[in-house]
Amino acid sequence: MSLLDGYPAVPAAFDELLQPGGLPREAFRRSVELIAGISAEELSHRQALAELTLLHQGVTFNVYKDERGTEKVFPFCLIPRIVSAADWSHLERGLGQRIVALNHFLDDVYGEQRLLEQNPLLKELVMGAAAYRPTLRGVVPAGKVRVQIAGIDLIRDPDGVFRVLEDNLRTPSGVSYVMENRVLSKRIHPRALDAARVRRVDDYPRRLADTLRAVSPVSPSETTMVVMTPGPFNSAYFEHTFLAQQIGAELVQGQDMYVDDDTLYLRTTRGPRRIDVVYRRIDDAFLDPDDGNPESLLGVRGLMRAWKAGKVTLVNAPGNGVADDKAIYPFVHEMIRYYLGEEPILEQVPTYLCGREDHRKYVVGNLDKLVVKAVDEAGGYGMLMGPQASLAERAEFRARIEATPRRYIAQPLIELSTCPTWLPERRRIEPRRVDLRPYILTGPEGPWVLPGGLTRVALVEGSYVVNSSQGGGSKDTWVQKE
Amino acid sequence: MSQTGIPKLVGQSQSQGHHAQSQGLNMNPLPAGPRTIVRTPQVGLISRVADCCVWFGRYVERSESTARELQATRHLALDGELTARQCWFPMIVIAGEARPVHDKHGDAVVEDGEWVQSYLVWEDECGVSLRRSVRAARENARAIRDVLSGEVWESINQLHLWIGADAARIEWDTHRDSFYRHVRQSAQLSLGHLRSTMLHDCVLDFIWLGMLLERIGQTARLLDVHHHAFASSSAHPVVETAVWVALLRGLSGYEPYLKNVGALTAEAVAAFLVSEVRFPRSIAYCVKAARERLTALVPPDQTAGQTALARLRALDDWLRAVSSERWESGSLHQMLTHVVDESAAVFDLLGRDLLGYAPAPTPPPDVET
Repeated sequence: MSLLDGYPAVPAAFDELLQPGGLPREAFRRSVELIAGISAEELSHRQALAELTLLHQGVTFNVYKDERGTEKVFPFCLIPRIVSAADWSHLERGLGQRIVALNHFLDDVYGEQRLLEQNPLLKELVMGAAAYRPTLRGVVPAGKVRVQIAGIDLIRDPDGVFRVLEDNLRTPSGVSYVMENRVLSKRIHPRALDAARVRRVDDYPRRLADTLRAVSPVSPSETTMVVMTPGPFNSAYFEHTFLAQQIGAELVQGQDMYVDDDTLYLRTTRGPRRIDVVYRRIDDAFLDPDDGNPESLLGVRGLMRAWKAGKVTLVNAPGNGVADDKAIYPFVHEMIRYYLGEEPILEQVPTYLCGREDHRKYVVGNLDKLVVKAVDEAGGYGMLMGPQASLAERAEFRARIEATPRRYIAQPLIELSTCPTWLPERRRIEPRRVDLRPYILTGPEGPWVLPGGLTRVALVEGSYVVNSSQGGGSKDTWVQKE
Repeated sequence: MSQTGIPKLVGQSQSQGHHAQSQGLNMNPLPAGPRTIVRTPQVGLISRVADCCVWFGRYVERSESTARELQATRHLALDGELTARQCWFPMIVIAGEARPVHDKHGDAVVEDGEWVQSYLVWEDECGVSLRRSVRAARENARAIRDVLSGEVWESINQLHLWIGADAARIEWDTHRDSFYRHVRQSAQLSLGHLRSTMLHDCVLDFIWLGMLLERIGQTARLLDVHHHAFASSSAHPVVETAVWVALLRGLSGYEPYLKNVGALTAEAVAAFLVSEVRFPRSIAYCVKAARERLTALVPPDQTAGQTALARLRALDDWLRAVSSERWESGSLHQMLTHVVDESAAVFDLLGRDLLGYAPAPTPPPDVET
C-alpha cells in the first residue's frame, strides 16, 4: 500500500518524482518508495510536528499588506523535490554562465554602454527603466562584482526542460528556508534522505561570509560586515536575523549607522566602529535619503557617497534592478552571446514586450493565452493569468496595457511541472505545481551555485502562483551527488 | 587525540567496538576549503541592541515575578486569615495601578481576587499585565534574535505563543496554580538558557543588568507595601506570620530564609530582603551584581556610562553603610523609596548614555522578491 497509489497526475505536466504511468523516476526510486510507504497517520503527525517546530523557532514571514506584525509559518510540504545529478550539473553551468553575463551587462550599463550602442531597442528600454540609475555611471564597485547574491527563478516545461522565468539580482530572499527545510528533512526522512545521496546545503553561510569579505575594500581578515534590515516588520525579517547569526555579522538598521568623511560607522556602546561591507536587505531607493527617497528613515545619510568613494561595499550593488527588469529579461541570451561569445545553456520563456508596437498588438489580441506581468511588481502581484482570468479582468488589463505599455510584458502560459505534495486537510498526496529558485554567490573568483534551492509550491489546486504571499508553500530540494 | 586523529571523549573507550564499525564512521577528513581567519575584538554593542537587551531582561523578570507574586497571594488568600482586600489590594499597588484602577473601575474591584488576577494577567489596558510583559519580552527578543541563542529565543517565543493560545486560557480556568507555574518555569528556562547557552559577553551583561534593575524594584515595592500594611498593625501573630510567609514565597525566599534566619518577624524579614547578599532577590545582592555588570560594560577609559556607574556605585556603598541599622517601619519606607528612586535614576542615565533612545520605527517598505 503506497500513498502514491491512484496519484491523479496532471497529464499535460512534467512530474518531478514520477514517470508517466506512475512509477517513481529511476534515480530516486528508493527514496520515493520510502516516503510513499509512510502511513497517512504518520505523515500527518510528522507534518504537524514540522509546522510546530517552525512556529516555535519563529521561522515565519510577515504578510504583505496585512496587519502590522502578523507572522505566519511559510507552509512546508514534507515531500521533497529531488533533482538528479545530471540535471543539476546542467543547471549549475547554465546559472553560472547567466550570472557572469548579467554582471558584465551591469558593468557595461554603468560603464561604456557598448551593447546598448549596438541595440537601440535595448538602450531605450534601459534608459526608460525605473531601476536605471544614471548617477551611478562610472562607479566601479570593490571586487568588481555587482551581483554577489542572486536568486534565479526556474520552471520546468512539459518536456522536462528547465527554463529561466525571472532573475532576482537585488535582494532575493528565501535561502534561509533552504537550510531550515533541510533540518526538517533530516528529522522527518532520515532514511529517504540517506538513500537519495543528497548534497549538503549548510555550506552556504560560510560561502556567503567568504564572498562578502572577498569584495571588501579592506583585507578580508580586517573586514567588519553587517546585515542591514528595514526592521522586524519586514516580510523577511526572520531571514535577516538568520543570516546575520549564521555569518557572525551584526544585524543593523539604518538608525544604528552614520557616515563621516565618506566612511560608514556603527554606533555602539563603546563608540563608533567602522563598517566595510553591508549586506543590505533594503531597496536602493531607501538606502540613503540624500540619494533616493528623501523621506526614508530606514537608510543612512551619505551611504551612497561612501559607496561611490569605495570606502564601503554594498551587496548587492545599487542599480542592479535594471538587469532583472522583466522587460530586459528577453535580452539575456543576447548578453551571453555578446559578452561571453558562448551559446546560452539555459532556456528562457518567450516574452512579448508591450512597449513594442507589433508585440502589443499580439498581446491584446491573445490575452486568453498569455500571462501578463507588470515589469515593476514582484511577489505575484500585478499579474494576469490570461487563460484563467474572467472577461472583466482581461478587459481591465487590456486598458492598463494600452495606457502604459512599457510597464507590461506577456508570456505564453507554461504548464509548470508538478511534484507530489502532501495535503494535510485531504490526508493524501496530489500533484501541485512547483518552481525552483537556486541561489548563486559570486565573488572575484567567479560564481558558486548552492546545490539545492527553494522549491516553491502552489498549494491551491490548479494554481500556478507559488509566491508565499499568495498561498504558496515550500519544499526541500534534494540535489543528488554524482 | 587518538591515533586515528579522531578526538575522543573523556571516558570513551579507545577500542572501536562492533557498534561503531557497523555504523561506518567516516574517517576521511572533511574538505577544508578556503577559510578566512577573523579576529573577534572586544567591541561594543549597537545602542539599539543594548536597549533591547536591557528590556528583554526586564520583561522576562517581570513576567516571572508577576506570576510568582500572584501565585503566592492566591495561597495567602486561600488561607482565609486576611480579608480579600488585604490580600489583593497590595498587588494592584505594587503594579503601580492603584490610581488607574480606582479611577476607572472603582474601589470594590480590589476586593475581588479573580478580578485582580484577571486584570494583572490578561488586561491590555494594564501596562504591566503578564500577557503584555511576555509579549514585550518576546518582541524585544525578536529584535535582537541574532544575538540570542536559539534556546533562549525559542523558550520565550514558546511562552508567547502559549499565552496567546487557547491552551493557556484553559489552564487558567481549570488549573490556576499550573498556569502560574507554567509561566514561571518558562521564564526561568529563558534565564537559565541565557547563562548556559550564550557567550558571557556584553549581550548577557546588558540583559542581566535589565533583569537585576527590575528585580530591585520588585523586591523594594513588595517589601514596602507589606510593611506598610502589616508591620505596625495589631494583627494576630498567626496572621502576621502568614503575611511574611506569603511575602517570602512571593520572592522565592521562604526556604533560604528558614535555613538562615528562622523566626518570622517584620524586622528580620525586612533585613533579610534588604541586606542578605547571598540571597539573589535581596536588594543588596541585586545592586551589587548590577554594579559588577555595569563595571564590566563601562571600561575606565570610556566616558559614556560613567555617570550611571557612579550613581549605582553610590547606591551600593550606601546600602552597605545602612545595612547594619535597625529599621522602623517609617525609616524602612524612606530607605526603600531611596532605593527605587536611585535605581530608576540609574536606568535613565543608562538610557541616555548607552542605549541611545531612538525615534519610533517607521513602517518599512517591502522589497523582498
